[in-house]
Amino acid sequence: MYKLSKSPTGNDVIIKTNEDGSVTSMLKVDTDPNYQAYLAWLAEGNTSLPADEENTQ
Amino acid sequence: MADIVVNGNTSGAVTLSAPAVAGTVTVTLPATSGTMLTTASSTGVSGSAISSGTVAEAYGGTGTSTGYYGFKNRIINGAMVIDQRNAGAVYSMSASAYTLDRWLGYLSQVSKYTVQQTPSTTEAGFAVRVAAGFTNYLGVTSSSAYSITTTDQFFISQTIEGYNIADLAWGTANAASITISFWVRSSLTGLFGGALSNNGASRNYPFSFTINSANTWEQKTITVAGDTSGTWLTNNGVGLRINFNLGTGATYSATAGAWTGTSFITAPTGATSVVGTNGATFYITGVQLEKGSTATSFDYRPYGTEMQLCQRYYWKLCGSTLGGSFLPMVLMNATSTTNLSGCIQLPVRARVAPTSITLGGSAPSISGGTISTNMTLDRSAVDEVLTYVLGTGFTAYYTYRWLGNADATTFLGFEGMEL
Repeated sequence: MYKLSKSPTGNDVIIKTNEDGSVTSMLKVDTDPNYQAYLAWLAEGNTSLPADEENTQ
Repeated sequence: MADIVVNGNTSGAVTLSAPAVAGTVTVTLPATSGTMLTTASSTGVSGSAISSGTVAEAYGGTGTSTGYYGFKNRIINGAMVIDQRNAGAVYSMSASAYTLDRWLGYLSQVSKYTVQQTPSTTEAGFAVRVAAGFTNYLGVTSSSAYSITTTDQFFISQTIEGYNIADLAWGTANAASITISFWVRSSLTGLFGGALSNNGASRNYPFSFTINSANTWEQKTITVAGDTSGTWLTNNGVGLRINFNLGTGATYSATAGAWTGTSFITAPTGATSVVGTNGATFYITGVQLEKGSTATSFDYRPYGTEMQLCQRYYWKLCGSTLGGSFLPMVLMNATSTTNLSGCIQLPVRARVAPTSITLGGSAPSISGGTISTNMTLDRSAVDEVLTYVLGTGFTAYYTYRWLGNADATTFLGFEGMEL
């Protein structure tokens, strides 16, 4: 499952909980394989969870 | 005087001949007694003339005319000694993914083979491998008897960064030859192979080799004339990709031994399909790709050096058994009562800035407050990564210790630097 997050410096970050329990956080960079997988997951009609809260410094 | 003849003490003679048209040339004889270097197998010197010949490695030479001694191997982790991601556990390959450091496992259909770094001394014939100096190998095992379609592709590959092949001058009239050498063992016999390709895979060179005996380590050598066409990057992008085929359909197969402009060729025509036989194995180690037309001895590098070379493309920061409050994995600063921020220095300059981090293993803890969102990537550069942790109960401007579990399994994997 993917969840959106906003970093303290204002970056949009996507957080994925993997099957083995590990957690991957990724930036929105087209060349990143994890982000590519996220885009493919969205293309299948899925929707990520919203960020828990806004976080700014 | 064209010739000087020096008679032997008992018989024969040595003739020193000047060229038909001599320039002003001075040949200086040694100042000490001894025997001058000669072109002969007994001295390890080969070639028609000493100035253009080669000196065998056994006699202190490089064995080639390239002049390289160390760092001649453009492959990183060719001896399969580094496995940061999985530490020798089996990769299930539910998707294409990096396995042992720098080695990508690619599959067009998921879960058709597994990969494992194997330091085994139990496979038949292992002594040959060990005697050659290789304690580890990359082992592929087929998970089913899959009949490949015309568009299927299964292979393992390594992509060499452009900086590390710049001297080959590929894509120019001066393109240098390369030689690939490796040790391989399979439960199958017959024609095997792989291919070389450039960035974008618009230039490809399928190569083939034969595995003669099942379950027997064999060393293979392939020399390839450099490509004088196409675009070959010489920066931090994809320089040269080499893959070893595990099963490829006709669409992506082509005649071995020739450069082709047909895109995405990854195998020679008629190559054996490893994924076509359930339980079939394909083991490989000692992979070397070097400049020149001669395969020389494997370029053994110190383990620490090889690790650092790998960390340019992936880094795993691991907790230790000395964890607890004494040895935090990351020191973090509270920027508010709900945010912690931490900067992590990368061990070597990455190829590109990391774009993902994975937190795994046993759950870490923090030296105060409560975590709601654990270690997350904020932004990155090629030398450092900024991370954040969200939670409650932090005191602004205090420093907190982000602690790996005492079982030492907590890790942070820095990703997105691979090619």
